[in-house]
Amino acid sequence: MKTSLILGQRALRESLRTPDSLLPTLLIPLFFLVVNVGQAARIFPSAGTEFLKGQNYAAFQLPSSLLVAASFGSAALYLVEEVEGGYFDKLRATPIPRMAIAFGRLYAELVKMLVLGAVMVLIALPFGVRIEGGILGFVVLITVIALWSVVFSGIMQVVALKSRSAAATQSASLVFFPLLFVTPNFVPRHLLTRPMEIAATVNPVTYVMEGARSLILDGFDGPALLRALAVIVAAGALMTWLTVRTINSYD
Amino acid sequence: MTAAILAEQLMKTYRGRSGDVEAVRGVDLEVAKGEVFGFLGPNGAGKSTTVRMLTTLMTITSGTARVAGFDVASQPHETRRRIGVALQEAGLDARQTGRELLVLQARLFGMSRTDATDRAQALLEWVDLTEAADRSVKGYSGGMKRRLDLASALVNEPEVLFLDEPTTGLDPASRLTVWDEVRRINNLGTTVFLTTQYLEEADQLCDRIAIIDGGAIVRRGTPSELKSELRQRLQLDHEPTLDDVFLDATGRSRQRVAGDVQEIHA
Repeated sequence: MKTSLILGQRALRESLRTPDSLLPTLLIPLFFLVVNVGQAARIFPSAGTEFLKGQNYAAFQLPSSLLVAASFGSAALYLVEEVEGGYFDKLRATPIPRMAIAFGRLYAELVKMLVLGAVMVLIALPFGVRIEGGILGFVVLITVIALWSVVFSGIMQVVALKSRSAAATQSASLVFFPLLFVTPNFVPRHLLTRPMEIAATVNPVTYVMEGARSLILDGFDGPALLRALAVIVAAGALMTWLTVRTINSYD
Repeated sequence: MTAAILAEQLMKTYRGRSGDVEAVRGVDLEVAKGEVFGFLGPNGAGKSTTVRMLTTLMTITSGTARVAGFDVASQPHETRRRIGVALQEAGLDARQTGRELLVLQARLFGMSRTDATDRAQALLEWVDLTEAADRSVKGYSGGMKRRLDLASALVNEPEVLFLDEPTTGLDPASRLTVWDEVRRINNLGTTVFLTTQYLEEADQLCDRIAIIDGGAIVRRGTPSELKSELRQRLQLDHEPTLDDVFLDATGRSRQRVAGDVQEIHA
């Protein structure tokens, strides 16, 4: 744990020194938010759209944008860079648990996403978005998003360790990225076409999105939050198992 | 007395696309404490694979290896506490400063922040990098990176230091600086296991050498023993060089190894 924190601090320092990789994590999701709201806000006016629960369409879209920010997997790109450059071996030659190398980066990912998530929500507030769950809801919201970013980045790190190639790692993130859009991204699940509804129902990202959205639109919706947390815990357990297995057998 | 490195019938087999590849085939090594041991061989001979097995970075297919008295396969943590590793192509985090990199390395060996800071400062002075200490590693020259890599391999005052081709890609002046560092480290009692393609480097630095070819050791001894053995066996009328020993051991002609083996002269 202590070693992970030491390595995590280094990863955070690294992120701060590469704003060119940090800024897109903030700007691209905000771009998606602006474009999606600009395209669909008139179709879904707050007055006549039941699922908006009195808020504007930006409130409905915000969780999607937060999840886009959480799905950059930059930790994996830094890791694969170290694998290719040889520093990963330097770390492996020290007397630390090897999983600390991967978990250190995930700790940094958690902190980074807590900050970026908070900034994104704060940017959205002046545009009429309210967090129905209040300050506690705000904290839970960015925590859920940050935990999801840890899970996603962890899975990407497994790809990085398996492939040892930056190109393959980037390609893998493009494979996972569409999962964000096979979700109730623009409208609630019950308004999707039947095939899309089935696809969204089997997609675990849907439950994270619905949990996050419930904090904005409903306050604390226990079942929605529990489903989101269950997905995060299950995916997190799978990611942890894969990470430990992959890094300990890394040759 | 316990050997610093003791390997018996070390083997490494990779599963390649066209079947199994035997990268290392039954290597036996015994390196005494305080020795500078040179491990020579052409590209792809199995030098780096052997080093990676001895430094716990790679699993051993069969055979055993003990480094600093510990079994590398069953006691990897104990082994890592007692070794320093500088691999081919200095693997450094280019986004950190030299000082940050050394402090981090020291902390990973369990030192407190204060002790790690002091150790980093001492090492920066040792390798003459104090002026560049707070600059990003990205801006370091090849020689500076190599010296920093050496320093990072020394944070834990290792009993055994592994240097995998420490001077590859360096200009002659930087190479001579690294040689001086290796001698200084060895003078402090550290055992040095050095792989190199540069025969002059082995001649200058090593007490004993082993030549590996095709995954197996084909010669071993002191440089002078190997040269005199070749002189007697081929009944030469002149003192052969280590190049001649290498070429004889690996069955290569000078034409064939052009580009593989380079020499520098101090």
